[in-house]
Amino acid sequence: MIEGSGIEKSFRSRGGVLGARRVQALRGVDFAIPKGGAVSFIGESGCGKTTLGRILAGLETFDAGRLVVDGEDLSALKPKRREPVFRRIQLIHQDPYSALNPTATVEMTLRDPLSLRARQTDRPHSWVSSRATEVLEMVGLDPGYVLPRYPHQLSGGMRQRVVIARALTVDPEALVADEAVSMIDVSLRLGILDLLRRLRSELGVSILFITHDVATARYVGADGELYVIYRGQIIEHGATDKVIANPVHPYTQCLLSAIPVMHGLEEPGVDRLEPTEPLSELQAEGGCLFASRCPFVAERCRAERPQLMPVGDSGHEHACFFPEVRRVVATPIG
Amino acid sequence: MTMTAGSGDPLVTAAVVGGGPSVQIRDLTVAYRIAGRDMAAVAGIDLELPPGSITGLVGESGSGKSTLALALLGAVQKPGRITTGSIEIDGVGDVVTLAPKAVRKARGAQIGYVFQAAQNSLNPLKTVGRQLLDLAKSHDVDDKQSLVRQAKSLLERMGLDAGRMLDAYQHELSGGMRQRVGIMFALVLNAHLLVLDEPTTALDMISQANILSIIRDVSTDRALTTLVVTHDIGVVAEVSERIAVMYGGRLVEQGPTTQVLRDPKHPYTRGLIRAIPRLHGDPALAQALPGRPPTLGTTPETGCVFRERCDVFARLQLPACVETDPRPTPIDGDRLVSCHAVASEHQQADREARA
Repeated sequence: MIEGSGIEKSFRSRGGVLGARRVQALRGVDFAIPKGGAVSFIGESGCGKTTLGRILAGLETFDAGRLVVDGEDLSALKPKRREPVFRRIQLIHQDPYSALNPTATVEMTLRDPLSLRARQTDRPHSWVSSRATEVLEMVGLDPGYVLPRYPHQLSGGMRQRVVIARALTVDPEALVADEAVSMIDVSLRLGILDLLRRLRSELGVSILFITHDVATARYVGADGELYVIYRGQIIEHGATDKVIANPVHPYTQCLLSAIPVMHGLEEPGVDRLEPTEPLSELQAEGGCLFASRCPFVAERCRAERPQLMPVGDSGHEHACFFPEVRRVVATPIG
Repeated sequence: MTMTAGSGDPLVTAAVVGGGPSVQIRDLTVAYRIAGRDMAAVAGIDLELPPGSITGLVGESGSGKSTLALALLGAVQKPGRITTGSIEIDGVGDVVTLAPKAVRKARGAQIGYVFQAAQNSLNPLKTVGRQLLDLAKSHDVDDKQSLVRQAKSLLERMGLDAGRMLDAYQHELSGGMRQRVGIMFALVLNAHLLVLDEPTTALDMISQANILSIIRDVSTDRALTTLVVTHDIGVVAEVSERIAVMYGGRLVEQGPTTQVLRDPKHPYTRGLIRAIPRLHGDPALAQALPGRPPTLGTTPETGCVFRERCDVFARLQLPACVETDPRPTPIDGDRLVSCHAVASEHQQADREARA
């Protein structure tokens, strides 16, 4: 179980005419990832979802809030004690090519973390190569083929599987997959997503799925939870399928409306919106963060910032003064 | 349509009247010479772009879709060359046999091209406005003022603050803005054939939706003949009237988008559509396509290029699939499918209908 509460993070932005200013990347984010569960964070680039993934993987610090892993409050631990906990949360990012050392074969890539693991757990050295074979088979690769090869000799899909295999060498508790399939060929994407699903069900690995593509998030964890994040604030959260079918926040509705409709197979949702992207960098800080882009903005939205509040008692939450279910998702024909 | 900057050029005027040109690609083969061997990146392509239509060209990496788009521009680079075929563009001629100078003139003036990752096609050291003047110079445009006017009206049409855009450097622009600037550059000389290579890759969903609606709008406004090259079948579904699916350098299926999506015939098209997760229904209905796409070196030399991943071949093991490269078979009016199994099924149905 990984729990975050009130996580805040700000960065100093570079340059600008008026000099550096602070950009709030995360604004009091609360979330929980149950063991073997799937949690998805969706939002546009710059919304803070990548920062959150990096914080979870221990690659970034946070300014305020608590991060609790299996009952241990990481903020209270000394860095030395914190490290082994973070090691069990592995980050899989977008570009598998830059994640692998180009001068190392797959065998070399897997050997280092496995040797360390063998020493830590008093296993014989022979375990290293048998375990390497095992993790490669687990991710659907032929060990005989990939072990002696360099990253450039493998396809994008195979490389991403190698990255996942390397993550498995530490027996991770959770994988943070940040746009993990966006650079993979379309016909191979589902294979990687399938693998993540399998790791969930067979190894009990939790998956934190970070993406702008709601459909892939749903594929990995339709039974999981979805968090929609806008400029660092969670603006809607609930069971993935519930939020997709009954979104109440206009931003969630904009994101869902932007998904291409497969004309011929689907009809656009009756309430589909025409979202617009922000074409100027001036964004108001007061009131609702989404007010300047919201098609349904009202006076109150510019004056006051809505906080997360529940819809019914199903755990579905939103941060909107005027929540309304809209049918924006395409429906199948026939 | 008002006469604009590029219209002083005699080459331009021919095609401007009546909107987008028609494009006929016949038996096109582009080969790359690697280690003394010609390897075909695209082979035997027949494709027609009807005037004033949007066609989506879908394929995975290595399918040859970008090579095909480059051939259309007459911009295939060595060690690649066009070994057979013709590309007839109304008002331009056959790009394959045209003199390099004439092709260069046609690019920009008649054929507008938006590159993949527009950020890489903009000069980081010059403002957008400065690059516009460079374009004027390279295309001998005398009336710079009307060129700037045209650029501004295009940028405003796409929802941008035109004055600010022309003064901006590329690093000051978001991905969506750069893509709009790329489209402006492609159209500012009044090109009527627009080719966009992966116009929405690396964009957010909402930016993508905006760019797609811009492509639809400008194509209609200016009656453009548009080719959208993409790996994302969703992009094609949203924007194009016709779809052409490429695999291993071959066009395996083409036809009206809604028909192809509703009832895909080629096993690859079927597999590709099935592999896309949707927002409704059982997520487990999406199924991965086994195997992986071929590269130049691994494309089979004889027979169907898709057979290794094909569920129909796995079941029927037709000898034809191993022996000959399937040619496009017309079915249901204006659809073309290159598959032995589909062709023989179709012939059989035809015979039964006649009997």
